[in-house]
Amino acid sequence: MIKRSFIRLTEPKLKCDLVEPDPKEPEAIPIPPRMILLLNEPLDSQRESIIKKGDMVKRGERIFLYKESQEYVTSPVSGTITAIAPFTGNFGKVATYFVLETNTKQDIEHSFAEFAANPGIENADRYLRGIPGDPPLKQLADPENRYNRIMITGVDDDLMCTTRQYVLTRFREKISKAVALLKQLTGINDISIVIPATMANLSAFNGMNLVRVTSDYISSLPPMIMDKHLGTPFVPGKAGKDLDVCFISVEAALSLVRVYEDKQPVYDKVITIIDKTGKRSRVTATIGTPIHRILTQLGVETAEQDRIIIGGPLRGIAAYTLYHPVMPDMDTLIVQARGEIPRVSDYPCINCGKCVKICPSKVPVNLLVRYLEAGLYQEAADSFDLFSCIECGLCSYVCTAKIPIFQYIRLGKHELMKIESDIKTEAQDV
Amino acid sequence: MFKQNKFTVSHAPFWHDGDSIKAMNLNIMAAALPATLFGVFQFGMAALGVICLSISSAMAWEALFNFVSKRPIAIHDYNAAVIGMMFGMMLPPTITWWAVITGTFVAVIVGQQIFGGIGGNPFNPAAIGVSILLLSWKNLFDFDAALLNYQFDFTALAPLAALKHQGPGVVELFPISSLVMGNQIGSIGSVFGAGIILGGLYLIIRGYIRWEISLAYILGIIVTAWIFNITDPSKYANPMFHLFTGYTLFGAFFLATESSSSPVNLIPMFIYGAMGGFLTILIRNIGSYPDGTLYAILFINLLNPLIDKIRPKAFGKGYEQCAK
Repeated sequence: MIKRSFIRLTEPKLKCDLVEPDPKEPEAIPIPPRMILLLNEPLDSQRESIIKKGDMVKRGERIFLYKESQEYVTSPVSGTITAIAPFTGNFGKVATYFVLETNTKQDIEHSFAEFAANPGIENADRYLRGIPGDPPLKQLADPENRYNRIMITGVDDDLMCTTRQYVLTRFREKISKAVALLKQLTGINDISIVIPATMANLSAFNGMNLVRVTSDYISSLPPMIMDKHLGTPFVPGKAGKDLDVCFISVEAALSLVRVYEDKQPVYDKVITIIDKTGKRSRVTATIGTPIHRILTQLGVETAEQDRIIIGGPLRGIAAYTLYHPVMPDMDTLIVQARGEIPRVSDYPCINCGKCVKICPSKVPVNLLVRYLEAGLYQEAADSFDLFSCIECGLCSYVCTAKIPIFQYIRLGKHELMKIESDIKTEAQDV
Repeated sequence: MFKQNKFTVSHAPFWHDGDSIKAMNLNIMAAALPATLFGVFQFGMAALGVICLSISSAMAWEALFNFVSKRPIAIHDYNAAVIGMMFGMMLPPTITWWAVITGTFVAVIVGQQIFGGIGGNPFNPAAIGVSILLLSWKNLFDFDAALLNYQFDFTALAPLAALKHQGPGVVELFPISSLVMGNQIGSIGSVFGAGIILGGLYLIIRGYIRWEISLAYILGIIVTAWIFNITDPSKYANPMFHLFTGYTLFGAFFLATESSSSPVNLIPMFIYGAMGGFLTILIRNIGSYPDGTLYAILFINLLNPLIDKIRPKAFGKGYEQCAK
């Protein structure tokens, strides 16, 4: 953990880690006997699901919960479903998880193969959601999207993460194929590659649009890239398909290339694991592998009250179980020792002004947090720039009173968006 | 699948820079030590007694109020101790015990706790405490009378009172070097200019106070006093005399910078500080009080919420129309 320095005339400058100069090949995690799949749709006890306990699924088969379901999860192995249960994620978001017993004999579902020769975004969206890197196929396939530009990001968006940089350096010669494939899939010709400013040996990127991003923390976040490098203004509250620029991780772009080369979906995700001592290892694991498999194979120990962080130290999420599966966008896994965990407090804001000085969005955090604490979310958004926040987490990192400001901000945004979507649903019902 | 460890689950960020309210307060107290120790050295054990009583009674008042209002006892964050120390430093060394206890009551309870405790005070609590004492028992703050029985090898006159009563002719009696080194009559913690500057610079370097406020305050003092001085040197003292006498430096580094009653945005900090310096000199030169620092600081505290509204446009503001 980076602590405050003794001399502090200016705000701390946090640097993102760079990938090691000569990275080792990732260790492969074998497919475990039991997999866990997460489907982004809540379980509804009123309706009869089309998938049931005891059903067999093939590798590459899409699992839908109900007949009219839009969301699906693809099975990375062939196996038998032994449990279906609700899963609660961040902010009470409800999903469904399936436990899958892996079969010894692997059957492969071939329905994607016939579309592989002729790449199109609709078929990609129909079969390839949830491949490693989690490409935003749903948004790209949405006819209402406004994208006119694609950014393939080879930089990581948090302090200790290096997975995307690793994938970018390791597979750099395949980037040109990824660009060609994305052009063919989406029809968007303006494609740029975001690379670390320090990256050398750029011959593989000849003729491509490059955006070089420094390793200063937050300069790799999409709103910052848009603002600094693209001249596209950041618009508070605008996200997803309403933006002009679509960000896609380099791993997602390369997964697409592999999928179309192999004519079948791929499922091996590159993950960087950082243990309590800060030792870094890299593995490839099949999506759906419970994370304890990875930790056990690497010999990473976890103890009571440690913290398992999915993602980076400033923007990640904490997992509550080691049976959390490997997800398509899970780049980094950090184990934080119990003694290293900073406590939050219930002190009020003491107006020290550190958050205001460090905020890259110039949000009046000291006032904002007072409104958020009181639950006045609409006022917070109207008068105190709640939606200008780009969620970097720096305000909580420097807060002298140890207020969980970032949590309040996310909660505020979440509550407002919920109200907005409720109003929309009601209007539609009328 | 069933026997497993329980992990700590909380929201990002998972790192913290390690700062805390306690560390901040301990640093402020450490920064105030050089000036305080000099006061004790200069004025003897009486001064030490006042400081100790002030800190301890401030902490006791806070604990008592926490107890009565059924809130967790929070004296371990040294917030009350800092108020007590600041308050004690502004007192004459020979002040009676009941005035100290009454003053800390006003500072801690009226100045802060009734507004909701730490972070809620609209005014600097220590300044409130001293101001109320100053209004109620003016004679207690007659530094010449308070230090009558001391023997000093420098001019034993309170500089600002002398200026008020005898005009700027007295400035000659107080060489700047002697004022800076603490050879003057005044309160325990405000006489030793060099020590206060040292402490203030320490806090600025550590990032515990906002340098913009202190700088603007000092510039406000110098510029305003200079304008008065050049218009009529026979009526108004020079800027350096104002800077090193009374509570000026103490106000610049320890009172005006109190976090919850001061602004946090850049331009407001400069306005706030400069306004404080300007008002201090205005009260001294035109008003009826010898030292205007405390009232100037309470006044800028009052303006703080208003001027802190001047803030930069947040990221992406002004582009909302494009979203619709």
